[in-house]
Amino acid sequence: MKAKHLSPDNLNERRLQAVRLRLDGHTVAEVATRTGLSAPTVSAAWRAFREGGWEAVPVRPRGRKVGQAARLDAAAQQVLGECLRELPESPEPAWSSRALADALKDAGHEVSPRAIDHWLEAHDLKPEPMALEALERKRGQTGRWYRQQVAPVLKEVGKVGGSLWQGGVRIARPTQQAAVEAKPERPRYQLYLHGKRGVLYTRVLTTPPMVDDYLALFQRLLDQAEGKPVALVFHGAWFQAVPEIGRWLEWNPSFRLLPWPALGEACDRR
Amino acid sequence: MTSLTHLQKLEAESIQIMREVVAETENPVMLYSVGKDSAVMLHLARKAFAPAPPPFPLLHVDTRWKFRAMYEFRDKMAEETGMDLIVHINPEGIEKDINPFDHGSAIHTDVMKTEGLKQALDKYGFDAAFGGARRDEEKSRAKERVFSFRTAQHRWDPKNQRPELWRLFNTRKHKGESIRVFPLSNWTELDIWQYIYLQNIPIVPLYYSAERPVVERDGTLIMVDDERMPLEPGEVPMMRKVRFRTLGCYPLTGAIESEADTLPAIIQEMLLTKTSERQGRVIDNDSAASMEKKKQEGYF
Repeated sequence: MKAKHLSPDNLNERRLQAVRLRLDGHTVAEVATRTGLSAPTVSAAWRAFREGGWEAVPVRPRGRKVGQAARLDAAAQQVLGECLRELPESPEPAWSSRALADALKDAGHEVSPRAIDHWLEAHDLKPEPMALEALERKRGQTGRWYRQQVAPVLKEVGKVGGSLWQGGVRIARPTQQAAVEAKPERPRYQLYLHGKRGVLYTRVLTTPPMVDDYLALFQRLLDQAEGKPVALVFHGAWFQAVPEIGRWLEWNPSFRLLPWPALGEACDRR
Repeated sequence: MTSLTHLQKLEAESIQIMREVVAETENPVMLYSVGKDSAVMLHLARKAFAPAPPPFPLLHVDTRWKFRAMYEFRDKMAEETGMDLIVHINPEGIEKDINPFDHGSAIHTDVMKTEGLKQALDKYGFDAAFGGARRDEEKSRAKERVFSFRTAQHRWDPKNQRPELWRLFNTRKHKGESIRVFPLSNWTELDIWQYIYLQNIPIVPLYYSAERPVVERDGTLIMVDDERMPLEPGEVPMMRKVRFRTLGCYPLTGAIESEADTLPAIIQEMLLTKTSERQGRVIDNDSAASMEKKKQEGYF
């Protein structure tokens, strides 16, 4: 792990160890190898020790102190939760951070989209987009599925200027602190989409999404595309068992749903 | 002199029990439910009588509602071991189309499993049947002896069991009576997993965590294994990373959310768990002491 990704405690421990090793006569290069720090960091720790003693070796606390961040108050969080359960009034397929910030502003809570992003992240509601392109070269079933079923559709839809989306449904597992703060009946089931440049659109429900929730999402994507085709790679739902979805797809052939497959099960798992 | 490990002692005990049964009874059979305990029992039987195949057939009392992966695995194992596989389905159950959804778990279990088992034992005249039950699974199983005697009507009397001191088994029985034998009685779930790992025993892939389509029913995750599973209006199954600690009829078997997709990971999970594997079985929750009642009536 690079030093810049270490926690302050871990970094300070290593800096102190680096100084001890230098005192034992090890070279900067040897110390860097043994502690996992870079050579300049070892040198800096050693210089700090020479100039200010052991007390000068640890780095000063970085960043904003815990509790100083602009936090969403309970009322704002309640509005946020209520919004996320419903579809947005705008034609967007689901809620973006910006749309949520606007909705909160209308309700009298001035919050930035960035603060909403942080709130979503703290509540495990900010899934990362799937690295689909990486599947192009991947071996095995997933790679084959992407090359044979997904890539040709994405290419076809992209060629005529259609919109490409990816998304899914998942269960959010908030961090311990967020779980404590949340109401007992907290939202759990997240429907999410990633559009251009990975922008997140989401809804969060207290029960597993029903067929109408999915169809509303699909219909909005289709409406937004203004007659152009839409391709959606979707993970986490078993649409094969639901005839309503099949019928809707038959009626809307310009909507290309690409469900993430349930991959075969290997027997040897040693 | 090297002392045996814990698992080697258990293995030796199970093999001794199996050989004892073959020596003392006329027509034994091994009940094969396709689960992990059956896999271990089958492996032990093959060890006990190697290089010949075990001198008894496998009996699967089918309900038609097992997981598809279990049927595939059952047929593969029967072929691999070269043992005769008897599959019995209660014909009355087929005729009345008994299923867990329309008739409930209690009737389904009674007709398709308990009655099906009794029919099969009577039909083929088996006087001893090996089963993979363990004491740690459930309280009524905990008090059952290794050699569990059944009347001619296949009933079990928990208050009239024979002592089994110093591993001396009294196998005498009257005509028409039969014995259910549990060579894995003294094993725990963890022992089973460690043994599977050490001996490289093949098991149904459902035991490993993978993304599977599931729906929630009364807090239990039920896998949608085929099109017979009725969905609620508007319901869409979700793909969740789950595995099974126990396998039975798929509509009656709850999955657990887990990341354990290798044997070491499963063993690690076992070390941390504080619940019985049978908490995932809907049939065990029918009523208080339901397993003991079912066992008295002839359930395994």
